[in-house]
Amino acid sequence: MAVASATPIARRIDTRRGGGGAAGPPPPPPPPTPAGVGAAAGPPPHGPPPGIGWILPGVVLSVGLIYFCIGYTGYVSLLPWDWRPPRAQSFQGFDSYVKAFGTPLFWECLKHTAIFFVVAYVVQTIMGIVFAAILHSKVYCGVIFKILIFVPVVIAPAIMSPVHRRVFAVDGPINWILEHLGMIAVDPLGNRVWTAPVGWLLGTLGMGDVTPNWIQPSTSLLVITAVQIWSSIGMAFILFYAAMGQIDPEILEAARIDGAGGVRVLVSVVVPNLKPTIISLAILNAITALKLFDFPYLVTAGGPAHSSEFLGTYIYSELFGVSSHYGYAATMSMLLLILALAVSIIMSVASRERHRKAVTNV
Amino acid sequence: MFELRTRRARLVLTVICAFLVVPFAVPLYTMVSGSLQGRGIGNYTAAIQLPGFWSYFRNSIVISLATIAIVYLLTMMSSFGFSKLRIRSKELYFWLMMGALTMPEVVLLTPLVMLASKTQSAGTVWAVIIPIAALQIPFTTLLTRSYVDGIPDSLFEAARIDGAGTIRQFWNVLLPLAKPMGVAIVVLVLVNSWNAYLLPIVLLGNGEADQVVTQLPMSFKTRYTDDQPKILAGATLAALPEIIAYISLQRHFERGMAAGAIK
Repeated sequence: MAVASATPIARRIDTRRGGGGAAGPPPPPPPPTPAGVGAAAGPPPHGPPPGIGWILPGVVLSVGLIYFCIGYTGYVSLLPWDWRPPRAQSFQGFDSYVKAFGTPLFWECLKHTAIFFVVAYVVQTIMGIVFAAILHSKVYCGVIFKILIFVPVVIAPAIMSPVHRRVFAVDGPINWILEHLGMIAVDPLGNRVWTAPVGWLLGTLGMGDVTPNWIQPSTSLLVITAVQIWSSIGMAFILFYAAMGQIDPEILEAARIDGAGGVRVLVSVVVPNLKPTIISLAILNAITALKLFDFPYLVTAGGPAHSSEFLGTYIYSELFGVSSHYGYAATMSMLLLILALAVSIIMSVASRERHRKAVTNV
Repeated sequence: MFELRTRRARLVLTVICAFLVVPFAVPLYTMVSGSLQGRGIGNYTAAIQLPGFWSYFRNSIVISLATIAIVYLLTMMSSFGFSKLRIRSKELYFWLMMGALTMPEVVLLTPLVMLASKTQSAGTVWAVIIPIAALQIPFTTLLTRSYVDGIPDSLFEAARIDGAGTIRQFWNVLLPLAKPMGVAIVVLVLVNSWNAYLLPIVLLGNGEADQVVTQLPMSFKTRYTDDQPKILAGATLAALPEIIAYISLQRHFERGMAAGAIK
């Protein structure tokens, strides 16, 4: 193992397995509490003290503020779609919802969110597992690789955005690399174009409109997806790294004795053991996709021509754009909220289920 | 994971890994090399001389510290209450809180702007601190409550029999035992509040001394109209504290962020 210190991390953060198996002795389960037995026989004389005062500050701040905001947004969403604060208020009911469902751009945003989610999730899962497997092997300079993979998770998207614009610029490093791989040529007018084989391949794949000028309608969504993947593979990696540290080395040893090679062990033994992490990552990615704002806003501004528009940037532009429509923005906020809430419910249920099974292992 | 018996196998895998890691290094390399183009280190001196340069960092530090303090205290208190104390219909409160778990910030913009102007807090750091804290608490409470559930009740009962009141149980039993989770919360909230962009641009003022570190690169853009080296110098300076913090506290960051991902 490249960095032995990860094992305690694994044990702390990953509560799904019953402590057993991993390297080192499992953490002692709490004693079968005599208090619990006593409680079953009859409540202890005093029981736990009352505690409403302890939860109140947190509940008031989070529940109070957030639910108030939801209520207010819900109210504004029932006003005319082009309502703006100083104007008189008149309820229009669900008119602006009807308008939202009839707006092609709204569906475009959902489509972008779905494409983004699928691509980002698949790439992150595969690369996260590959990096975790490699860094669990005895490679040289493992710590340096780990830092490089994880640093993007920590740096603010807003800070990196101008850098990513530079990376994907026409004369930026991506095109520099492609040029030196012989995939791009510079034509007499100074434009960058695909060399013949690449152009033919893209044409055959029906992607003839993709040119090496990245921030344009046919590729801007790809740029946003790539940039987000860059900043979140580290997270997938660290989760898989921790989960792999939990796999019983004896299982791996047994597979090897049976003659399985490295890749075979990874695919047939390790990956099935990572299933809970793969599911967690799906939920995490769904939330990220719904909340996405910083990168599309700052790297491509949702464009060009709305080609990388997401719900976040769409709502923002309806609020603070050239013409602001508070009612319409509120309506879309409510729809976004419903989607986020659905994910949140799935998440809470899944999480409580896991913790109920293994609360003692934390 | 892969068994590498020979030095050659180790070397081959290391080279493969180095090759796969190249895309991670490209933006970082672009950032630093781009920032040194033209006037070299002079881009950095120009960046630091930007009026109000240090106030970006000062505001981010103030916002992060205040958010951490609020979230830490309220999370520990409510986890203690939810897990160890007697509260009528506590699951109702808990599920109300969990309803706010994945709130997209953009949903809250209109009401927050309205609230901030009503309470005269628009443009002050509090207009940002309070919503960021409110958005963090449900999640940190979910994490911490299940952690505290794992601490045996008998420890608290023993403390009570020894005469410790609720406050002393919180202070002398819960806080020390929940410290590993506390560290994770601090890291998680630090990263989330330091990296926040949307709420600060909407709720903070536009003055020279009003903004936070995530706005630094873009403010160069408006001031120097697309002078790439200076923008990248600004991005490097803004990213540096986070990179240094991560490298010096690697394990805590990895654990905290990972705890934030497994929900």
